[in-house]
Amino acid sequence: MSHLSSEAIETTKLTRRYGYRVALKNVDIKFPVNGIHGLFGANGAGKTTLMRIISTLLRPHGGKIRVLGYDPIEESIEVCERIGIVGDKDLLYGELSGYENLEFYAGLYGLSKEILNVNSTKLTEIFGVKSWLHEPVKILSTGLRKRFDIVRSLLHEPELLLLDEPFSGLDRDTTEVFKEYLGEIRKSRTVILTTHNLQLGVELCDDYVTLRKGEVLSSGPASEFDGVL
Amino acid sequence: MASGFHAALKIAKKDILSQVRKKFEIFSMLLFALIAGLAFSFALPSALVEDLGGEAAIGAALIWVIVFFTGMFGFAPIFLAESESGTLRGLSVAPIPAWSVYIGKVIYGFVLMSLVEIFIIPVIQVLFGFTMFGEEPLLVVATLIIGTLDLAAVGSMASALTMPSESKATIFPLVYFPTATSGLILLIEITRVMATGTVVVIAAGLTVSLLFVALLAHLVAMITLSAGVFSYALSP
Repeated sequence: MSHLSSEAIETTKLTRRYGYRVALKNVDIKFPVNGIHGLFGANGAGKTTLMRIISTLLRPHGGKIRVLGYDPIEESIEVCERIGIVGDKDLLYGELSGYENLEFYAGLYGLSKEILNVNSTKLTEIFGVKSWLHEPVKILSTGLRKRFDIVRSLLHEPELLLLDEPFSGLDRDTTEVFKEYLGEIRKSRTVILTTHNLQLGVELCDDYVTLRKGEVLSSGPASEFDGVL
Repeated sequence: MASGFHAALKIAKKDILSQVRKKFEIFSMLLFALIAGLAFSFALPSALVEDLGGEAAIGAALIWVIVFFTGMFGFAPIFLAESESGTLRGLSVAPIPAWSVYIGKVIYGFVLMSLVEIFIIPVIQVLFGFTMFGEEPLLVVATLIIGTLDLAAVGSMASALTMPSESKATIFPLVYFPTATSGLILLIEITRVMATGTVVVIAAGLTVSLLFVALLAHLVAMITLSAGVFSYALSP
């Protein structure tokens, strides 16, 4: 359960710089608990920087942020326990099999063998990789690796799922399966989604925030998104 | 959430399994150690060896010199591989303390270098005609374990610190060499005394036991310091 908060993400004047370049400038965002929330913007708008701050990978240089009610700097372990991330690059070890990768990450999240087996069986069936479970990841295609990476991110049943361009590398069938899965979990989990496929983003998301040059350009229900980045 | 030490063991197990399946990396380290041992045995004429204290003294020192240089191959990529493949991000966002990632890598480095030592120590002993497990075999084994852990602790930290640098190949030895040298000198001294069987008083009041305690203190200091600052190496 989230930590006494009705907001999954709440930022106040959030600022982050890389040297002299400002990546995020006084960003105020509120994404409520549960549902799919879109983070839109052109390249270099600050989406990935914001995702990295939410996932505890980056420290902000100014402002405040709460993730599921926790401070990602002071309470990073509490945040990490509750989030799952999928990025453009998978987080799998090529020499290990899909199952060994899942077993490794399950160990880091303190999951029991029973939970690992139940969840990995269910998720690998949903994402169609069960028959590849014991093959070394290095021999798998980009799409299959991506599917395993999605399974990895969901294994510990995260409250908050951070998806940074999750559909890149996925074929149409898997994209449909993933969309369907997100549709099922949206009532009980929070999903933050960044994608360049705005049509897909609008179709999936409940609401959105658009960033431009590190600042909030617009926000509101996804059905009212005007397509301006 | 996994406990820190449990997570460290998981990370070490994963690295060892990956390394075993790659095969060629550990093979190239063993080959380097063998070639270095053979080259030293050709390069040092027996007259010079006698002048330098005999086969046992030279052989004992060479073991650690070879292990030290082989460590450059073994330790440098410890974090680089994770950084380049992007999997370091997976460790960074896992609900585990940063020090557990570091300790996991130290355990992996220890296992890797132990394999090298198991291979090279008998080779050097045969080439130079001595045994280092004579009078105090337990102390020799303890020195090997503590010394290897010490080199792994320093090597892992050097690898983490040099990870963001564009010129890692240059920076790594510049960090590894000065931080490992004090431990290396202690290791060579202890092993040389054990191998030559000479009186255990090296200087007034300076016994092998005292050197061993100093080595242990060096290891504790290196691990404590490295584990404490490691979170800064993980977070950009």
